[in-house]
Amino acid sequence: MWSSMNTASPGSSTFRTLLLLLGLVACLTQASPAQGEGPRPPAVVVAGTDFSVSTPGSGKATFYLVGPSHSSKQQIDLGQGIYIKGDEVLSAGRYLVVLCAQTCQSAAFYVTPAGPASLTFLAHPSRVPVRQDNAISGVVFPLDKFRNLVLAPVTINFKLTADRGDSSSRLVRTKDGVAWLRVRSGNVTGTVQLVASTGDVSVRRVVRQVASDPCNLRIKVERTAKGIVVETEPVRDCSGNTVPDGTIVTFTKIDGAGKSTVDAPIKQGIARAQMSAARQAVISVASGVVMGNPIRLSE
Amino acid sequence: MKVIFKELLLLPVAAMAALTISLLVGQSSLSESLPRVETNFSMAAPRTVEDLTQRSITRDYGQAWENLDRALSSNSAGLLSDYFVGPAKTGLASAITSQEKAGIRSHYLNQSHKLEAVFYSPEGDVMELHDTAQYNLQLIADGKTIQDERVVLRYVVLMTPAADRWVIRQMQAVSQF
Amino acid sequence: MPKATLMKSIVSLVIFAITAGLVAIGLATPGHGGGTLGITSGSALPGLKPAAATPEQALGYLLTDVRRQDWRGAHSQLANASEVDEVQFTKELAGSGGNLRSLSNLQRWELNPLHETNDDAQIRATLHWATAVGQIDEVRDVRVVHGEGTWKVVWPPPHFPNVPEQIIPVNYLRWDLVTSEAGADEDWGGRNVDAPRVRIISMNAVDYQGGSVVMGEVVNEDTVPAFVNVNAVLIGDQDHAIDEESSFDKIAHVLLPKQVSPYRIDFPHVALQQVKNVHMDVKATLVPASADPVIGVMDQKRETDALGRSVLHGTLLNESGQVVNMPHVIASFYDNNGRVIWVSDGYVDHALYPQTPEPFAVQIPRMVADKVENYHVVVNEYSITRQ
Repeated sequence: MWSSMNTASPGSSTFRTLLLLLGLVACLTQASPAQGEGPRPPAVVVAGTDFSVSTPGSGKATFYLVGPSHSSKQQIDLGQGIYIKGDEVLSAGRYLVVLCAQTCQSAAFYVTPAGPASLTFLAHPSRVPVRQDNAISGVVFPLDKFRNLVLAPVTINFKLTADRGDSSSRLVRTKDGVAWLRVRSGNVTGTVQLVASTGDVSVRRVVRQVASDPCNLRIKVERTAKGIVVETEPVRDCSGNTVPDGTIVTFTKIDGAGKSTVDAPIKQGIARAQMSAARQAVISVASGVVMGNPIRLSE
Repeated sequence: MKVIFKELLLLPVAAMAALTISLLVGQSSLSESLPRVETNFSMAAPRTVEDLTQRSITRDYGQAWENLDRALSSNSAGLLSDYFVGPAKTGLASAITSQEKAGIRSHYLNQSHKLEAVFYSPEGDVMELHDTAQYNLQLIADGKTIQDERVVLRYVVLMTPAADRWVIRQMQAVSQF
Repeated sequence: MPKATLMKSIVSLVIFAITAGLVAIGLATPGHGGGTLGITSGSALPGLKPAAATPEQALGYLLTDVRRQDWRGAHSQLANASEVDEVQFTKELAGSGGNLRSLSNLQRWELNPLHETNDDAQIRATLHWATAVGQIDEVRDVRVVHGEGTWKVVWPPPHFPNVPEQIIPVNYLRWDLVTSEAGADEDWGGRNVDAPRVRIISMNAVDYQGGSVVMGEVVNEDTVPAFVNVNAVLIGDQDHAIDEESSFDKIAHVLLPKQVSPYRIDFPHVALQQVKNVHMDVKATLVPASADPVIGVMDQKRETDALGRSVLHGTLLNESGQVVNMPHVIASFYDNNGRVIWVSDGYVDHALYPQTPEPFAVQIPRMVADKVENYHVVVNEYSITRQ
């Protein structure tokens, strides 16, 4: 072929230029998108499943698989199917197969997530005051066993179970790979089990329902040998729930010696403080922004 | 016949020159290409996206892709730590390890992203976004460009707030939204 | 003898003679303690003290021994050494039981004579202690008497609380924090225990000595304890940050549910005129905590101290059975509108023993003293025996 070309235009400078151009084109072709017949992968592959890519022609070539979390290279014989193991396509997304002999040709395909195997469940808040509208929220993302987000619609069953056994449930279908709900907190303190499930996959979260701010703080004073002991009546919120132990109650006594304050934690429902005795004094109590009844001491 | 041989010798030289030029062009555009990010938060539900969060998402998503390009083009997994966590980070780190083993480098050049928030959780602790991304995907294996294409891809992205930024926790290309 | 060797011997003898002469002059000449920094006072060698010719010298010698932690030497210089038990004297100055004084060292002092006669003098000593929490100044009025040809210090015999043996019932209430061993990335959503809900309830920025001070109060609105830190960023022209600082130790970091703490953040190098805005940020994290000990702040009163400064003083009463090694008092002061106008703090250098009152005082700056209508005191406690 070359000799016939040689005889057709021997020593011509135009021919030389043409050859150079051809060289450039050949080189640029290598770096441009694949042309003609290339590798043929399946259009869609499910994550983690084996499949094969057919290759046209004959001879030796280099085969590349490039995906979102995995790439590989192998020497292959053209004209045969290339077997790809499932563990090379664990991540969902777009993959490229590139076949390079004299030139490179490529094809793309998508790997889709497998079925739901786990749920990411975001439940908030972990502590919520009782009787609050839309106070508890749950968000679920179904994931396959390779931690791909399952985008196909999945029905999630949200179930709320309170300490006393009251329970309710709601079915929510995922959209764009997410299902969510918002519910009102219950009337009584205690824990609420929040379970999200689909098929045989379930995840549990715990939300603690706590009392609101103290309501109607009341104190009583008792004289002792060491002075006086001031203590609250059992501290409850306005729904009658016991305010959590550890909540600080501030006792203040004002007398001739000045102002005395004690920040005392509630223990077993009651806060208690010891103060020096005075002939005349005013004792008051507060917790957070809530004030209680002041007591006037006189001989 | 001698002339023909001369021409044949010139051919690989020309090819090498062209290849070198094309690689140089690719590298110069790599350093210049900062991702362009357009965002739309109007469809986000159930929570409205706060102004500060909008600005942060726009900035951090662009930075994340910038880091992704740098990490995959230099096979440096360390560059992922700032903007990727969880499955997104482990997936990309694994991609870098296997790329290196196969002698491949990937470049994501001239990026532009159209980002739409589709879900913002009630507590503001996760946002799902749909990104229609355009970029030049360039694959270089053993010093040779084996793929160079302008692609338009769709990504489903989960971002979560970290200490001072939003980070990508999940990023998955899909054929359609 | 060669000439060179002879010269060397002469030079050595001359140097020895000069040195001996200087040492003798040094020992014979008393230091100058009065009204100057104490670090220059005292004798050069322990145990070789000349007689104090002035009251200031006497106190200077004593304080030099205290600085050297030569407790016996200091005790031997007291005019009333027979009345002051050496062990108690040492305990007072060296500290004990892990209190702040035991982590302190006297650095320097200033002496100001209040009055002086031929055989009696009163000196106001301002002692500067270097401590584990920074410099602490102590003001003491000391009596010095003349007798047997020298001045000597009269030290009031120390009295330490004698805590009677007793059993104090305490229902311990504490919160433990259980964390998952899995990394946060692997367990997204599994760690659904929220950070405590904490809120800044007031903030005020004032100009102070050419710098700025940001202060206010923060409350734990949650039902679990919180470890709290408040940060402030000063914003200047064109919205750029001038400086950033945290409340450091001017806050009660561990807040129990519904507890309120003052905070103060100092920017000594930024004038308030430069500041256009202040960005406040409160960070709260879950923390294991105990509801004890309970410390009462008793008999709080505003008064003027010996130096004419306005102070809030009172006594701390540890109502629990556990020793508090280092009490730290933080007080917020309010004007007649209930606005926080200043936050002061101070460490008490004695430990709080159960049921034993311990006095404290915190200073109120002159610029706000007249406006103070009310105050609120909280006590931070550091105990060596408890984490």
